[in-house]
Amino acid sequence: MSNRTPDRRTDATSSRREHSRSGPSRWSHCRKRGVDGSMRTDEHEHTEGRHSSFTTPESSGPVSRCAAASDWGSQVEDDEMRRDLHRDLQRYRRRILAVDAPHRERKASSGSSGSCDSKEEDSLETDEGVLLRRQKQINYGKNTLAYDRYIREVPKHLRQSGVHPKTPNKFRKYSRRSWDQQIKLWRVKLHAWDPPTDNGTQEDNEEQLDFGDIMDIELDFPTLTEPAPQAARTGVMEDPEGSGTPVKVQRMDTAAASDIA
Amino acid sequence: MSQIDGTETHPAVMENSTDEYRIQSFDPDTQMLLKTALKDPSSVDLEKVSNIIMDQSLKDHVFSKEAGRICYTIVQAEAKQSDGNVFRRNLLNRLQREFKDREDMRARSIHEWVCYVTFICNVFDYLKVNNMPMVALVHPVYDCMLRLAQPDALKNEEEVDCLVLQLHRIGEQLEKANSQRMDELFFLLRDGFLLQEGLTSMARLLLLEILEFRAGGWMLSSTANKYYYSEISE
Repeated sequence: MSNRTPDRRTDATSSRREHSRSGPSRWSHCRKRGVDGSMRTDEHEHTEGRHSSFTTPESSGPVSRCAAASDWGSQVEDDEMRRDLHRDLQRYRRRILAVDAPHRERKASSGSSGSCDSKEEDSLETDEGVLLRRQKQINYGKNTLAYDRYIREVPKHLRQSGVHPKTPNKFRKYSRRSWDQQIKLWRVKLHAWDPPTDNGTQEDNEEQLDFGDIMDIELDFPTLTEPAPQAARTGVMEDPEGSGTPVKVQRMDTAAASDIA
Repeated sequence: MSQIDGTETHPAVMENSTDEYRIQSFDPDTQMLLKTALKDPSSVDLEKVSNIIMDQSLKDHVFSKEAGRICYTIVQAEAKQSDGNVFRRNLLNRLQREFKDREDMRARSIHEWVCYVTFICNVFDYLKVNNMPMVALVHPVYDCMLRLAQPDALKNEEEVDCLVLQLHRIGEQLEKANSQRMDELFFLLRDGFLLQEGLTSMARLLLLEILEFRAGGWMLSSTANKYYYSEISE
């Protein structure tokens, strides 16, 4: 199978077929079987058919983490990510210490111990496994055309909290559910910057998105859509076959049940 | 390392990369493909490029000695251009597949096996991650070195030559990554030097030199240097 980096203007229909056939979702690496029932192997072939709004063509796709990745390509990537994480962690530590310094000085003069900076340190996430997972989730989100367009359109100093998506802080302590929810909301917000399709609407993009990923975590979908464009709701809530429950939810149900840890 | 920037599209400048990366042995179309991969990686099929480089490295010993360099440049160019890893991933996984079948490769052709070891060591040398060698390659490289230190391999001058050349180039880095296995390797080399029958005198000379080289902290004293290398100039 050729790994030719596909043209960004991929054919929407064929890419959707490809994508749902092999269906690796963000959490599918924890499942032994893919959505279509076939066994997953360690050597995870890159699905070239991802829709352009989901991920930029150059991405290497999800990596199996069930057992430690046995292929050298993944091992080196993980190694690189680990090193980058440690470097980021040191930088972040320095940053929060610098921010707390003025508070510390004031407290010291009043006689109390410097509890301010240790408080920030205590809520620091340092578990490598957790950080790696979070980084990968962030990478998936940043590896999209929507993200590219967003950062080009809205420079950091013009960003308003609440309005503009903000990357969740991987170094803060959050529960798994809370973190996954933040990621989900962040990614949904980013869809506002999806490239328009040929017919001028963004509806197609939403449909072809693997909402299965998101369904894995939380089944009460209606609460999700408040920041997202109306198109997102329509894409998944409506069921073309008319059986009532969205098809994607049905398929994910059994897998999701075992996923919710 | 050449700088990759927009000015390198001038024909005269492009020509330099042919020499720099030793790609003269390729046909003109392939040369063009490789040059494009160096400047504009996302415009080419990087899996194909990695296979071309790998295939040639297995055939051409001269190319395999420096092929890591062109790989490094493509990896950097791809990372810079699109934050991608496609080339590196494909290259490493192809290396891994060949590694799995190395015993068959060696049985088929000592020359190909020697080219493979040269190439993987060269990749280890050039392709660093945050200026550190790739951890994933440390054990495989050692496995190759240890294979070359086996009795049946020491009998072939071609394999001994490969072994000592690689140790000269990456021995120090390898030892830093895992000193225990280096000790293991040198136990074998000492035994081979002392006990192995059927070694050519050249093979013995190479082994003695590498023993002294490592003992001297990965360099030769000036007197040892004179002993081993001064004859060449006379």
